Formats: sequence, structure tokens, C-alpha cells
Amino acid sequence: MNATPPALSLENVSKRFGHVQAVEQLSLEIEPGQMAGFLGPNGAGKSTTLFMIPRLVRLGGGHIRIFGVDIERDFKTAIRSVGVMVEAPAFYEYLSGRKNLELSARILSIESPRREIDQILDRIGLSSRQHDRVGSYSMGMKQRLGVGRAMLGNPRLLILDEPTNGMDPEGTQEILSFLRDQVRATGLTIFISSHLMSEIEEFCDSVFVINHGRLVASGAVREILKPHRQILRITFRGQAPDIESLSRCEGISTAETIAQDTLEVTLAQRDSAWLNQYLLSRGFQVAALVPKQRSLKEFFLAITGEKNHA
Amino acid sequence: MRKLSAPLLLLRNEISKALRRKLPYFGLFAVTVLCLVIYAAADQLSQASSANAWGYVAFSMLLVFNDLGLIFIIVFAALLFSEETDSGTIRATLAAPVHRWELYLAKAITGLLYMLVLWSVALLVSIVLARIRYHFGAITDAFGVVYPRGTVFRIFLLGFVLSWVPLAALVMYGLFISTLIRSPGAAVAVGIGTIYLIDFTKHLVGLDPYIFTRYIGYSWQILQLVAQGVDYQWQPEIWRMLTLSIGCAVLAMSAGAALFQWRDLNG
Repeated sequence: MNATPPALSLENVSKRFGHVQAVEQLSLEIEPGQMAGFLGPNGAGKSTTLFMIPRLVRLGGGHIRIFGVDIERDFKTAIRSVGVMVEAPAFYEYLSGRKNLELSARILSIESPRREIDQILDRIGLSSRQHDRVGSYSMGMKQRLGVGRAMLGNPRLLILDEPTNGMDPEGTQEILSFLRDQVRATGLTIFISSHLMSEIEEFCDSVFVINHGRLVASGAVREILKPHRQILRITFRGQAPDIESLSRCEGISTAETIAQDTLEVTLAQRDSAWLNQYLLSRGFQVAALVPKQRSLKEFFLAITGEKNHA
Repeated sequence: MRKLSAPLLLLRNEISKALRRKLPYFGLFAVTVLCLVIYAAADQLSQASSANAWGYVAFSMLLVFNDLGLIFIIVFAALLFSEETDSGTIRATLAAPVHRWELYLAKAITGLLYMLVLWSVALLVSIVLARIRYHFGAITDAFGVVYPRGTVFRIFLLGFVLSWVPLAALVMYGLFISTLIRSPGAAVAVGIGTIYLIDFTKHLVGLDPYIFTRYIGYSWQILQLVAQGVDYQWQPEIWRMLTLSIGCAVLAMSAGAALFQWRDLNG
């Protein structure tokens, strides 16, 4: 049998820095062609985990395999199919963006580096600034150049550590959409870390949630993240319903008054369309019905049920 | 076209980067200026230097590499890793199909190449200046020719090559400091500081025979004797110089490479 190995497989991966257990017995698998999110608050162990994949941080225990190749056994073969951008991408500030890419392309022994660099610069929207020194680039431009550098050599797996850090919302949307398109068009696998749930929710197929170095949840985004987003903020035209009667309604867990014309409702087993219909049928005019974004802290409380996890 | 191996590709990158930095050029400029200053003051500084062109070159090189040249070599080497570790650029390099020892080797060769370039510029400028005032002829005294021109040339060639050995050890020491200390400023300060501290205290604590830096000017001192027509002797001190310098270089390189091999390169 010749089954396709996972694009990335972490098996009981651990890492300790002195007295701090940064990552503990972490296991996960990402199938090829997926965009997988790695979610966790700052200090959860996301970056340490990502740093261990290209061996920037030494593996404390366990195994990491890239398309079935163990990084400790054959690092060069394993890493050849990976593009990595960890933390804020660093560049030689005294060199141009293009020259920085040329240096990376040389190490990767790319056949036609000039053509590939032209294509990447075009895709990340830096063609017009390619000859400027990186020192003159904005944070967002550096992030884009970092993503471009990670894509040199047509990797099959892209590992990105908070690639939208420091980018404006427009730039964030643009770069994540671009990555999502790459996954769809080329079958690229992406493992992307973030502490922003919205990014993972909007662009990823699956998610791995980490806290205190341990995996606390994993699965399809719609299963892991969406059920926790059933809090709705409703603004009414005119009178708002009585919260006590609303709370008694089947399908509504809690209701809370935020302002005279605004309520916050937590749904149970129902969706916003149902609630809208329910309110209209009782003669209330809904001006706005907005899902409330949960903070990561609230999300962790919800999935772990323990305050100390938050 | 045949593909180059990873160490050669990394070396090409290191050279490309060095060529676009200001510091290496500043080192070359400073050494050239120092050569000119020595030329202007040679007569007042040393009688041996004014004996002939050979003596002048040996004197000029001794002065250049006892201070300024030494500083630039160690600064360049101390920045090779520390600067990249500090800025994070090293992570992008190592997240590619390269082994850490390959990068260490490429950096070590880059340091040695810069040492050779600095040395060559100092030698070239010294030779040009020597030719203006003196003559590269046979070494003579009141009784005639002591060393024919060809013999002096051969002795100087050997001296040139031997002078590289302690300088190479200096590069390896700088590289070791660069691996040990992540901050470029601190690495430079520790690199220069320790060399001078050892230099000032080695006599007091009886370490003098064991420190390779005492041999940085050794070849030039012997060549000065040759230029004066004095009987010279490479041996046995040259063996001590080679053993000590090569030993220190190997020790510093092994320690630095081992440290770099196992270091975690996170934030």
C-alpha cells in the first residue's frame, strides 16, 4: 500500500527551556492541500513548535515528519519541500528586496531564479519597489516579502508564523486571500499560526488550538470555532423585547440588555436566521443582528471549561 | 550547468553580503591610511625600516597588524554571526536545505578571505610606498652581499605565508565570540576587549607563552632581521607559533561550531 503521507506530522513533540515546558507531547497531522490554522494566545507554544520544524529550535522529544520524511534523519530532503516564515521576517536591510530574494534563491538552487523572483514579486505586489533597500520598506511590505521568500522554490508546504502581524486590515485580507487561492490552485499545504481567531476562521480548513504547550482542540474550523460564535448583538428599531421572556424561549440560552434598544443573546442549537425570524414573527423590528466576536480568552474558557486555561 | 554544493552557495552569499557592507571597505581604507602615515613617519619611527625596501615593508606590516589590522579582522569576524542572530536573518538562511556546519564553514572562510584581502591591501600599499623611497635589492653590509635578492624574496614569501597563521587564529577567535554573543555591539566589544586584556595581562599571570596573539608580529620581526642583514632563525620558535596558533584556531572553531550546532535560534 502506498498511502500519501501527511504534509506535516508532529508526534509527541516536546520542548523545554530551563524550567519552562514550552511544548508538551504535541501531536498533529496536516493533510496535503489543506490550509491549517495554529491558534493560541501569546506564549502558548506556537512559535516554538513552528521553530522546531526547520530545526531552528532543537527538538526536545518526539518526531517531526514532512511528507513522511523525518527531519532528524534527512533534514535536507525534508526541508526542501517547505517554505518557512517564522516570526517577523528579517532581511538584510542594506540590500534591496530583490537582492534578498536572490540570496535565498541561491541557497535553494532554483533553476531560473530571475523568472521565479519576478513572478513572486509580482504576486506579492512589490515589483515597483523591488530595487529599494528593505530598510525603507514598511512592516506590511516586509511581511509580504517574507511570504514571497517562503514561496521561493515552489514549496509543497508553507509554514507561516503570524504572517499578518503589523499589516493593515486590507493587507491582511489580501495576503490571506492570496494564500487561500494558492492552496486551491496548486494544492499547496499551509500551516499558519495566529492569535486572531477571525483570520483562522475565515481562511483555514482546519485548526489546531494550543495552550500552555498542549493541544487543547483540533478539527475542522466549522466544528471547532463556529459553535462558539453563537452570541449575537441585536439592535432594534423601536422597542426591544423583554429579556426574561426571551430567556425562557427554547433555542435561547441567555439574553442580556446592553442598551435601551440593544440586547445580547446567546443561542443554543439555533442560528441567527432562526432568531431573526423568531423576533420578526413577534413584531419586533431588527435594525442589526451582528455575531459577537469572542475573544481568544473567552474561546479558551469555552473549550476548556477551565478558568486557568485562559 | 553543474550545481554548486551548499557550502559554496553559502560562501557566495556571504561574499555578496560583505561586498555590499561599508565596514569591510572602511577597514581597507583605514589600513591604507595607516600605511601612508607609517610612510610619512618611517624615518622617525625606526632605523631598521629605512635600511631598504624589504625592511620598510616588514616594519609597515608589523605596525599595521599589531593594532589596526588586528582590530578590523576581529570586528569583521565578531559580526559574522552576532549580527545575523540579532537581526534574525540567520533563521531564513537555516530554514533552507543547509546544515549548520555548512554555514559555519562558509562564515569561517569569509572571515579568512577578509583577513587575506586586508593583508594583501596593506602589503600592496606598503610595497608601492617602499618602491618610492627604497630599492628591493640584495641585502648588503660593509663586507658585501649578505643575502642575494632571490634569497630575500624566498624568505619573505615564507614569512608572508607564516604571518597568516596567527591572523587565521584571530579570525576563528572572533567567529567563536560571534557565536557566543548574540548582540553585535557586545560581540565586538568582547572580541577586542579580551584580546587587549589578555595582551596587557599575559606577562603578569605567566600566560605569555600560551597566547597566540604574541605571534601576530613574529614573522615581520624575523623579516626585519633579514632586511638588516642580521643572522635570523625561524626555528624553534616558529614551531611553537604554528602549534599554538593552529591549536587555538582549531579549538575556537570547534567550540564555536559545536555551540552553533546545538543553539536554539528562537527570539
